[in-house]
Amino acid sequence: MSKRKLEWDKLLGLGTRDALRQALQHSAVPTLAQIQPITERAASLEPAMEEFRLGVVHSYTSDLLDPWLSLAGALEGLDVKTYHAPYGLNLEEARAGSDLVTHAPDITLMLLRREDLHPALVRPVVGLTPGEQAALSSQLLDQLFAIINAFRTHRVGHLVVTILPQQAGPALGVYDPQSERSEAAWWSALKAEIGRRLRVAVEAALFLDLDDVMAQVGRDGFFDPRLWYSALFPFAPAAAREVSRRVVGLGAALKFPKAKVIALDVDNTLWGGIVGEDGFDGIALGHEYPGNAYLAFQRRLLDFQQRGFILVLCSKNNSADVQQVLNTHPHQVLKPEHFAAMRINWDPKTDNLVALAEELNLGLDSFIFVDDSDYECALVRRELPQVEVVQTPARPVEVPYCLDQVSRLELISLTAEDLRKTEMYAQERVRRELRKNADESGGGLNGYLASLEMVMTVGIDEPAPLKRLAQMTQKTNQFNLTTRRYDEQQMRRMIDAPNWMVAHFSLKDAFGDSGIVGLALFDLSEPAVAELDTFLMSCRVIGRKAESAFLNALLKRLAAAGVREVLADYLPTPKNGLVTNFLTDHGFAVGADGRFRRNLNATPPLPDSTYPIVIDVTRVEAPGIRIGEMV
Amino acid sequence: MDLFATIQQVIATTLKVPPDKITRETSEKDLAAWDSIAHVNLMMVLEQTFDLFIEVEDFVKLTSVAAIVEYLREQGRA
Repeated sequence: MSKRKLEWDKLLGLGTRDALRQALQHSAVPTLAQIQPITERAASLEPAMEEFRLGVVHSYTSDLLDPWLSLAGALEGLDVKTYHAPYGLNLEEARAGSDLVTHAPDITLMLLRREDLHPALVRPVVGLTPGEQAALSSQLLDQLFAIINAFRTHRVGHLVVTILPQQAGPALGVYDPQSERSEAAWWSALKAEIGRRLRVAVEAALFLDLDDVMAQVGRDGFFDPRLWYSALFPFAPAAAREVSRRVVGLGAALKFPKAKVIALDVDNTLWGGIVGEDGFDGIALGHEYPGNAYLAFQRRLLDFQQRGFILVLCSKNNSADVQQVLNTHPHQVLKPEHFAAMRINWDPKTDNLVALAEELNLGLDSFIFVDDSDYECALVRRELPQVEVVQTPARPVEVPYCLDQVSRLELISLTAEDLRKTEMYAQERVRRELRKNADESGGGLNGYLASLEMVMTVGIDEPAPLKRLAQMTQKTNQFNLTTRRYDEQQMRRMIDAPNWMVAHFSLKDAFGDSGIVGLALFDLSEPAVAELDTFLMSCRVIGRKAESAFLNALLKRLAAAGVREVLADYLPTPKNGLVTNFLTDHGFAVGADGRFRRNLNATPPLPDSTYPIVIDVTRVEAPGIRIGEMV
Repeated sequence: MDLFATIQQVIATTLKVPPDKITRETSEKDLAAWDSIAHVNLMMVLEQTFDLFIEVEDFVKLTSVAAIVEYLREQGRA
């Protein structure tokens, strides 16, 4: 994409990091001399920067990325502290006490080249038969995963693996796609296999595809042969900027609160013009300019929904005007069922965002607010600083891409629950309506809960949902007794350890399946005393007594296995006030040391029938439970 | 700003050294910070500052203030 010239004077006057990022997204690459003042400007903005520790393991020069990493960091509000390992693919760093491990990185970036992974790759792959190519792939993968696993066994943060694209086009030139020995086809298949193995077998690791960076900036914009042959640094400025932006973006996605919700304005965001003024037929939405740009943005929003983000509407309009477009406009892509909640009224948007957060039971810090209005953006930034604000660009052609560089919309992992999230929230909307009806007809909460026909499935020490279990410790802030964060590696160790019990539950009801929504971690190192390290639940199942039924089922297991006392903590945070009384409400008493204890002899678990939930006991009783080993 | 002053500032900023460390006689041997990686950065900044394309053959020659001044004169940038 060709870019407009950097509007230098304007740039340094911008007052938010979001505005700076957007201006740079559509501008030419800054020069090295310009980077420093932009970095300083971005670093000086609110909120104050957080530290982001990066380790770089590399088989080509990486130090020249530093100014770009600092720039990308400052634009995200991250102070990047980089450690470059000694040059070369150095497995010396993959050991306890190495400089890399001592640096305690949040992310370790691996900058590899194809030929690091197999000596045969200095010769053309197309010289091999398809069978030989497959054998080469297999050896290459073994080598790559040996390297990855060597690092993964140490505390080096999330591993981000890259392989430098080829500087030259395929060996067979334009004929390559037709050849049965196609280099591009071989490489694509290999990348897919790298992705698959990372997904199923390696925790906390991501393949960052530099081919996509090259697709974005173009091969000529990616490589600077002068730098490559004279200093073994491959990246021209456009590539250095984009690689750094993506790496730091993953850092932002890891370090900042997880985004969950995209709250959208409608006028001049989902379509051009103002429906209340220009009318149903007057808004720009369709196959001609500028309506085609808004159409493209609506399609792009569906991509974000596939990543697991929930779409909601927050608009100042007459509700009927907007509903008419959503329901009947021939070019409207996003229909009412795509939105988990809506606020279309004349109240202040800040009130509506607060109401949406309450309705969805999600924190405001999980919201990304998209609006074209200077006034609304400034109001939300000032009144609700925890909400990330993205101002819809004034130029329609920039609108479809306005969320593409929002780092918190990048996924580090993707679970089955993520894919179904909007559907689950839509079910929740129906449940709320039912609840309202039950209240009005006098059936009350119990009548309502019984009508849900809930079934809870409890799993213990099951490795399959590992990603989801780790993700819940990362994301859950409100219903969380201790807010201890665990990555996938740590979770795997607890699942495997005989002295830990890792229990989760999912909940089905008349409307659908919530997926895995609760997690409890018990430390069973002490005989007869179990320590509740973590107890958390997704807010989307709050208010259904699931947390009580889950805890009770687990205490029954523990009591049967000889545990006499359960020790627990409540560690208050600004967000978990919801569970202040959870332990005392469930038979725990606070001691002089501030810790909570429940004696299972004096206060035994209750019968299952106490709760309006059928508990799938077959899973609780399933083999593989290790509780027995500790008595 | 005269040519030397501009070059002095470019080198000082790129190598992160005080400008007074850079004289008309300075060469890469005089400054520890002027290593091979910093040199590549310096070439990029000179390109951008003077709107040039520096051939890689010239990278290895432009290792002193005097050589840079001479080169920029040849390129008509002074």
